[in-house]
Amino acid sequence: MIRHRFLTTAAVIFFAAAFVMVAGCAKQQALEESVAGTTPAVVVADDKSGVLAPGEKKELAVAESVVEDKDAALKAAALEEQAAREKAEKERQQQLLTEAAAFEDIGFDFDKYDLKPEARAAIQKLGEWLLANQAFVVTVEGHCDERGTTEYNLALGDRRANAAAEYLVALGVPAKRITTISYGEELPLDPGHNEEAWTKNRRDHFVITIKN
Amino acid sequence: MHRIEMKKAIRILSFLLPVLLVGAIPVQSKVYIDINAPAFQRFPIAITDFYDLGESAPVGDMPIWFSDIIGSKLDMTGFFRVIDKKAFLENPEKQAFTAADINFQDWSVLKVDFLLKGGFIVKDQDLTVEFRLYDVVEGRMILGRRYQGKLNDRLKMVLKFIDEMLVELTGESGVFDTKIAVVGKSGTTSEIYLIDFDDTNTVKLTNFKSLTMMPSWSPDGDYITFTSYRDGNPDHYVLRRKPFSYRRISAFNGLNLAGPWSPDGKKMLTVLTKDGNEEIYIRDFTNNSLKRITNNPAIDVSPVWSPDGENIAFVSDRSGSPQIFVMNADGGEVRRLTYEGNYNTSPSWSPKGNRIAFEGRAGGAFQIFTINEDGSGLVQVTFEPGGCEDPTWSPNGLYIAFATRQRGEAKVCIITANGLNFRPLKGARGISSFQGPSWSPHMGTP
Repeated sequence: MIRHRFLTTAAVIFFAAAFVMVAGCAKQQALEESVAGTTPAVVVADDKSGVLAPGEKKELAVAESVVEDKDAALKAAALEEQAAREKAEKERQQQLLTEAAAFEDIGFDFDKYDLKPEARAAIQKLGEWLLANQAFVVTVEGHCDERGTTEYNLALGDRRANAAAEYLVALGVPAKRITTISYGEELPLDPGHNEEAWTKNRRDHFVITIKN
Repeated sequence: MHRIEMKKAIRILSFLLPVLLVGAIPVQSKVYIDINAPAFQRFPIAITDFYDLGESAPVGDMPIWFSDIIGSKLDMTGFFRVIDKKAFLENPEKQAFTAADINFQDWSVLKVDFLLKGGFIVKDQDLTVEFRLYDVVEGRMILGRRYQGKLNDRLKMVLKFIDEMLVELTGESGVFDTKIAVVGKSGTTSEIYLIDFDDTNTVKLTNFKSLTMMPSWSPDGDYITFTSYRDGNPDHYVLRRKPFSYRRISAFNGLNLAGPWSPDGKKMLTVLTKDGNEEIYIRDFTNNSLKRITNNPAIDVSPVWSPDGENIAFVSDRSGSPQIFVMNADGGEVRRLTYEGNYNTSPSWSPKGNRIAFEGRAGGAFQIFTINEDGSGLVQVTFEPGGCEDPTWSPNGLYIAFATRQRGEAKVCIITANGLNFRPLKGARGISSFQGPSWSPHMGTP
């Protein structure tokens, strides 16, 4: 739409300029004939090539006003169209983000950071999605269950996040679209103190956002 | 004893006051209590209500205040069993303050080892207190101290005397002048809190409203270092307590884990992942350099110095499971310390140098163990069903604080190094869990 409007405006300017030039040239030619041999300064001083005859001026004014009316309409339409497109784009991104949020956490065994087969399958899906949707980036959060030391668990969470990140890179997702962070045992998904809670808490969580 | 004589005695003693108060007299004292003995029993002690030696001002419940507060603080040390006053045979009306006036038979029949008596004089806002510790079996005074000060300082006087008493009886000073830094967690944020050894005061040190953890003290107690997600990433900070200020000292990509200061305060241990995986570094404040001392694809974390600064204990999973290792301070001569079990982490080196505490798995839960630095003499010191983690030694090496879980609540607790006298710290209200304790050095004043 922007492009369309630009072309219309450009065409109007082109024709107006062409008209002016043709008129100017004719006049200048006559002037040169009558004052042949005079200095160019005189020519310049007398040069009225930019000035249109009254009739010509009127014609152009009418043309301009028509163009202006047309332009305003086009502008409004353009804005409307743009808004609609932005809305659609936003909806699409929202839908994609909803899609992205559906990527589930991957689980790990106690004191382990190697990817299980089901985790690999999940990361493959995520990788394909990221390759299909270039506008998005991912943060991989590594988490642990509460057992063991804060520091060791921060390290373990770091390893878990890196394991998924490295696999994504191997699948072709550019490394610059992946960030990792370890939260160790600090942010459990399930606050319980039993095997069921611990299993849920040993995880990589994927946070997908739109690239800045 | 006649009151006149007593006053005379007090006047004479007053000349000695500055000397006695300094407490720096090198006394070659007999160590009565071997606190490192595994089968150590608390020593029975009787504390009589204090005598009003001044008769000048109304004293209210001061006599009882002194005996009760001393009793509760002594109980807290884990080395004494305070005898119930109701069992006393001595007539409380009789001012039996000196060895000559005490009938030690009255106390030996109660099977009391030590008898503590005291007297005070209040004049306006000024207070003079005298403490006397008697050996009941030998029938003699083994420690006498007198303090002068303001009425409001009476708790300080009590703690000062207890400290002297502990030096006399155990060869070690007390830790009433220490605090324990803990991580107080609430929801998805955690802050650093400082709790006094006797649990009378808790102060919130940070207010970053993010995850803040792993506190560690400078050797002078003025600074605390920690890791915080304050700016989104686990970065390394140093905080000055008074006047309060803090700064971020390391913010590499990935982990920036705080570690302890070297005993001379010039260096600090830290764990960074900036070179691809967890490695241990020494940050030298004298030239602001960073020296990597491990080079291993395995996890290397939780470094701690030996008290002489010559060795570093740390955790590594290079042998397949997390275990404690020891290396020279330059990273050389790495040797494995723990072999029992498949998860041993969180080393803390005793200030005495001879033992290393750590957490390991026993049955289904984590418990605290201690081991000699050559890997011999492994001892399990906790047996809490809720599990115990993150041990930290008191500066006198007599206690270990750690995190445990009681009835679903995470708490920081203190035990004597032999595993007895379990005491949970109350901490502060509104905090769902306390963990990750770090014991301060001596601060000089309670």
